[in-house]
Amino acid sequence: MVCNHCQELISDYIDGALELGEQAKVENHLSDCEPCRAVRDDLLQLVHFSRQLPSHTPSSAVWTRIQAQIEAERPATAWARIQTWMGRVQGRHFDFSLPQLAAGVAVFVVLFSGSAMLFRGASTDQANMADMGGAAGTSLRANPLSNPDIQQIEHRINELKQSVEQRKVSWQPELRFTFDRNMYYVEQSLLECRQQLSGNPDDQVAQELMLNAYREKVRLLEGFEKF
Amino acid sequence: MTRFDKLASYLAAIRYRLIIPFIALASISVSGSGYERVAGFERTYTPRGPAHLVISNVSGSIFVRAWNKKTINVRASGPSSGSVEDRVVRDEISITVRRDLRLDRVDFDVSVPSDTSLSLRNVMGKIEIQGVHGYLSVNSFDSDVRLVGTRSRSVDVKVTSGDVYFDGELQNDGSYTLQSIRGDIDVIIPSASSFSLSARAMSENINLGDFLTSLGGITRWAKGISGTHQKGGPKLNLTTYAGRILLHKK
Repeated sequence: MVCNHCQELISDYIDGALELGEQAKVENHLSDCEPCRAVRDDLLQLVHFSRQLPSHTPSSAVWTRIQAQIEAERPATAWARIQTWMGRVQGRHFDFSLPQLAAGVAVFVVLFSGSAMLFRGASTDQANMADMGGAAGTSLRANPLSNPDIQQIEHRINELKQSVEQRKVSWQPELRFTFDRNMYYVEQSLLECRQQLSGNPDDQVAQELMLNAYREKVRLLEGFEKF
Repeated sequence: MTRFDKLASYLAAIRYRLIIPFIALASISVSGSGYERVAGFERTYTPRGPAHLVISNVSGSIFVRAWNKKTINVRASGPSSGSVEDRVVRDEISITVRRDLRLDRVDFDVSVPSDTSLSLRNVMGKIEIQGVHGYLSVNSFDSDVRLVGTRSRSVDVKVTSGDVYFDGELQNDGSYTLQSIRGDIDVIIPSASSFSLSARAMSENINLGDFLTSLGGITRWAKGISGTHQKGGPKLNLTTYAGRILLHKK
């Protein structure tokens, strides 16, 4: 692998978006190439720095402008489209034979019974999920981050982070890179869990995965705290 | 005499008084640390019963295989600058690579009786265990882990990035926890195995192969599946976030 190709892939490499084969090639090249390692370290610094930037909430005026722009660019509402279509249909004249009418009724019956079965299946699944959520004593229902377990873990994480940040200055680049990369994977996993839970706060498996990812973060920090 | 001259003569006077205790202190701390150079490190231990071997490495591979002898043989290879320490307390043997600012690669090649329990810790580097049936605990960050021909009752593998491969037999009431944040969990077990499965994949990529059709009491979620195979019993907990879970019949 040449440097140009490696540097093209470094961003994806840091994001963990490369296939395992490509990842191995990049790592192989990085192990022998000081300039590419420097590029990688710079990018990692950027990723870390940008993650530490405070998030700003836009003012309501910005939202109003965005909404107005969306409204202006939206071609037509669904209801407006239906009205147009109805208008076109009303202007036409249809003639059906008896077999055509019979086939139409049969298709309607099949579609109706199929959707009824699907709807019933979905309701049962939802009921099962609700039962399981209720049974979980440590459910993280309303707000996963309000769970005392996670608060305790976050407290521990903050302590460890401070200690690791102090030590990190003296680490070799390879060690720093290994830590940053693995921490990035854990952070990404946590982010995915949060996204999953924001869509469905009762998702028991996502709750379990999030708690587990927090524990993994503690494990990672404890492991590197000793350097 | 200027103030500077006075200071210079004072420093000259105390210099020798300070240097001698300093040298003595330094030599005591070096001899007391128990660390020695990695290059040429080889030990043979003779435990009285099933032993517990703990290896704490930083960077490099750890390869452990079972053999027919009753002794444990540990060989380490690496640069002369690396240092390693061993401690033996009854049947617990701990081998630790010194953690310092350098990241010297140290590779371990270990042979143990099959009933030995292992606790392997690493930061980066491959780990492979062959034919060992004692309790197995692997804790690493950047490692591919391979467990081959194991019949252990307790397996606990945690890596942050790397694949975990398990090819072995599950024991009654055993516990098998395999976890990677970014990597595949690949498990091969005999088709007649009884177990209770809990598979969790944030990526939603779970492939239970032929086991899927013979799994009972299945509960599915978007990112997980639980179920019982045959009579249940051994707990098989598989977790990955960015990776696949693959379960095969042997």
